[in-house]
Amino acid sequence: MENTSLAHHLLLAGLLFVLGLTGVLIRRNLLVVYMCLELMLAAATLALVAFSRFNRTMDGAVLVFFVITVAAAEVAVGLALIVALFRKRGTVQSDALTTLRD
Amino acid sequence: MPSDLSSLVHWILFLPLGAAVLSALFLRRAGGLAAWLSTGTAFVIAGLSLLLLGKGVDVSWHVELAKFGDVSLGFGYLIDANARLMLFVVSFVAAWIHLFSVGYMKEDSARGRFFAGLSIFMFSILGIVVADNLLMTFIYWELVGFSSYMLIAHYFDKDYAAAASKKAFIVNRVGDLGFILGIAMCLSLYGTLDFVALKDHAAAAKTIPVAVGALLMCGFLGKSAQFPLHVWLTDAMAGPTPVSALIHAATMVAAGVYFMARVSFLLAPDVLNLIAISGAGMAALAGLCALAQTDIKKSLAYSTLAHLGIMGCAIGLGHPELALMHMAMHAFFKATLFLGAGSVIHGCHHEQDMLKMGGLLKKMPLTAATFIAATLSNCAVPFLAGWYSKDAIIEAAYHGHHFVIFAFLSLAALATCLYSGRMIRLVFLGEANSEEASHAHESPWTMTLPLVVLGLVYSVAGGFLASTLMPAGSLQPIKPALDAIVFHLTAPSTIVGLFSLVVGFFGALKFYGTVRGADALQVVSPRTYHLLEHRWMDGLYRWYVDAVQRRLAEFVAFLDLLIINGVAVRWIGGGVPAVLGYLTGRSFHRGQTRAYALWIVVGTLFLAWFLIAR
Repeated sequence: MENTSLAHHLLLAGLLFVLGLTGVLIRRNLLVVYMCLELMLAAATLALVAFSRFNRTMDGAVLVFFVITVAAAEVAVGLALIVALFRKRGTVQSDALTTLRD
Repeated sequence: MPSDLSSLVHWILFLPLGAAVLSALFLRRAGGLAAWLSTGTAFVIAGLSLLLLGKGVDVSWHVELAKFGDVSLGFGYLIDANARLMLFVVSFVAAWIHLFSVGYMKEDSARGRFFAGLSIFMFSILGIVVADNLLMTFIYWELVGFSSYMLIAHYFDKDYAAAASKKAFIVNRVGDLGFILGIAMCLSLYGTLDFVALKDHAAAAKTIPVAVGALLMCGFLGKSAQFPLHVWLTDAMAGPTPVSALIHAATMVAAGVYFMARVSFLLAPDVLNLIAISGAGMAALAGLCALAQTDIKKSLAYSTLAHLGIMGCAIGLGHPELALMHMAMHAFFKATLFLGAGSVIHGCHHEQDMLKMGGLLKKMPLTAATFIAATLSNCAVPFLAGWYSKDAIIEAAYHGHHFVIFAFLSLAALATCLYSGRMIRLVFLGEANSEEASHAHESPWTMTLPLVVLGLVYSVAGGFLASTLMPAGSLQPIKPALDAIVFHLTAPSTIVGLFSLVVGFFGALKFYGTVRGADALQVVSPRTYHLLEHRWMDGLYRWYVDAVQRRLAEFVAFLDLLIINGVAVRWIGGGVPAVLGYLTGRSFHRGQTRAYALWIVVGTLFLAWFLIAR
């Protein structure tokens, strides 16, 4: 902990974010896309905690609690949507879901 | 400052709210229970108000609810002599009207709703009386409007009642627009809404802007049915008779007068003159119009308009105490008149046409006696309640050298005697003119007891009230005004009053006896009668709405279609994607989620670059 700096944390957060973003862009299974989205959110949260830690204020840390709470609720809704989609269409491949264009 | 008095006011204000909530939530099916709950509450409040009046102590209590910068908004009580008088009048008249309603509404299927409405009305009007700042007044003002709307529409399955409630609500909103602008202006000029602080500011300033008073006056014009916003009051008679007695004669319409008296220090001389002249003019006009109504309640409604005009005139003349005194006297005898009319209507099996009544003196002696006593008070027979206040106002106009106003008020006094004589002649004297009237019966005790108490005791003993109670300390501010006006036999007001009484009252009794089953004036001069039916004011509004307001609305709607809907939404909002789609050959619209996500990333990066590079 002593030899890590803010930059290290931010670098890790950035890597996680890009990892998630790449997943969102290239994967076709909506479930995986959704997990990647959550990874992006986690990356942003990590950056927030890091800033909070290195600025010696608790504001960011407190905010993270709220973000996690809301994210939990949001995951429930998102997964329910994907399940409902699967029941209705029999697939969660994003390439197959093009009704709006057709 | 003894704290027990502010808790007394808490009880007075919140008891009716409790009764209303209980009735509305749990007693919708148990109408009888709701009726007695509401009535009991009203009597308790009346007792508490009497206690407060007897103590004669000012109460002020305030709690801050919100603070924005320097502006503090709060909830509080400011009980001075005027407020004590108003509290007593409102709660006392209301208590007896509640009791009357128990009998009158016995066969109604929606009694729970009705009594909940009465209680919520009590809560609202008492809130206006005790409020210590403009915002709180405004909130209760709107609550009063709501309860009035709800009670006028009690028979909501009848078209005319639904239309009348809508009309009352809309006309009042017109006035309230001015009111809320006036409040905003007070806030921007003085930075406070508190009555006491406003009074200090007004005393410190040399002149008060005319606009402040004029805007606040708008609320008064609507609520107190002053010209030109008086059109809703006569239609409001579509509600049950106790509602007409309580809200549209005795208390709510007087709230505007009370409010004007409370903020009288904010009224510039020009505003006062305007109120005085329009009040006097309306008093004369409405008094004459009462002659051309066959519906007993509508005729009484025009009589109320005339008295409201007189009260407004007293405020305009600079005698708010006299206006309040007339409000108190008027509340007693007009409530009696309306309750008497209710008893007559009840006795005649819901017949409201005066031409079909007649000869009720023998069939309903108690109702007739109280009605006639209240009528005489209405006509300002010397030493009855109405005489003390009404003649004082006429005398004030004469002493202030406002001769036009004096002339209008004299005409109003004459008209009052004319329509009163007509009413007595048509309803109680002569022979029954219909099947219903010939089978009329006296009403049950719950209806006659309020009549006797309000009518005989207070219409007749009003003079006793005026002369002994007021100097005794509780109504102190009125005394100097009374002393300033000299009562003697040669005073102009006395001469006018006695002349109107003899010529008007007895002339009407004789004149309306000449024709049976029809209106004598209509037979003699149909054109005058038609003019006095007062349909032209509604016609004027109809023309305004159709020809002016609708055109304007259509023009604005056209602009909306053209600019907002057309240019902004259709052209820009719809056009840009359409053009882009055309140019790119729909390469954006792949229908692939990943492609859209990519575009989101590109757009975000572009925005980030834009913000950083700037």
